[in-house]
Amino acid sequence: MTVTFGHAELTNGPSATTLHITLAAEPLELSWQHCGTTSDFLGDYFAKCCAKGVDQVDARHSIGYLLNEILENAVKFRHDGNIEISCSLDGNHFESEISNVIDPATAEKFQELLTEILARDPGELLLERIEANATDLDSSGSGLGLLTLMSDYDAKLGWRFTPDASNGSVNLKTVAALTFS
Amino acid sequence: MEISTNDYRVWAEGSKIHYEGTMRLSGTEAYAPILELMNNVLDSKPEEIVLDLTGLEFLNSSGINLLAKFTIEIRKQPEIGVRVLGSKAIPWQSKSLRNLQRLHKSLELQIN
Repeated sequence: MTVTFGHAELTNGPSATTLHITLAAEPLELSWQHCGTTSDFLGDYFAKCCAKGVDQVDARHSIGYLLNEILENAVKFRHDGNIEISCSLDGNHFESEISNVIDPATAEKFQELLTEILARDPGELLLERIEANATDLDSSGSGLGLLTLMSDYDAKLGWRFTPDASNGSVNLKTVAALTFS
Repeated sequence: MEISTNDYRVWAEGSKIHYEGTMRLSGTEAYAPILELMNNVLDSKPEEIVLDLTGLEFLNSSGINLLAKFTIEIRKQPEIGVRVLGSKAIPWQSKSLRNLQRLHKSLELQIN
């Protein structure tokens, strides 16, 4: 059964500009730098398709920043398998869906984190977590990237967890959207 | 003292710390050498610390967390002032640097 958190639905219509990338290999060996180069490429690609009047510099950066944070999470927490990236831009509305496989323990921990961060105002919670993190030397600051996206970029984020009964793993789809003014 | 790679450069001139390039390191441990450089400046107890970010095109959330942690360290020593220099041409700075001011009210933020 699929469990969803946040804004997990895609809304862009058939007239949207789309681009899909599948990172597939056996084994898929992604380094940290690949998150940056992939998200930079997508930011550049979609900034050029933005509606008239949208600040392209801001769009390039914001799309790049958003995708980099989510890809960093995908690379950090993925179990195995491919990473699929689907992006679309409809006028001034950008949407992305990043799919990867995680193990059930990671899924459970992540769902607990999401329940916490979605229950509060992201700006307030971001500062609270930064304060808590500063007093705890071992803290990795988990959730700060997602809170930064929601608070500073006004990103709409959602997650769909679908267990795969055939191998005991969990398919995770992360949906992230930005509206440019 | 200077930390330099193909992607970024961080160095201190007196109590002014400069950042340049693109920083997307993988987390707290990866940022530790940079925090050490910053703490060395703080340990010298200057009147004011300046963080010059006008050349820092990109900083991931782990890096923003590093700046936030350092801001809290400075806040513990009220006799030490802090000024953060940013650029309007670099979008992340207008979006995220105001959080530093929310953490430390007397931090002076200049985004030009």
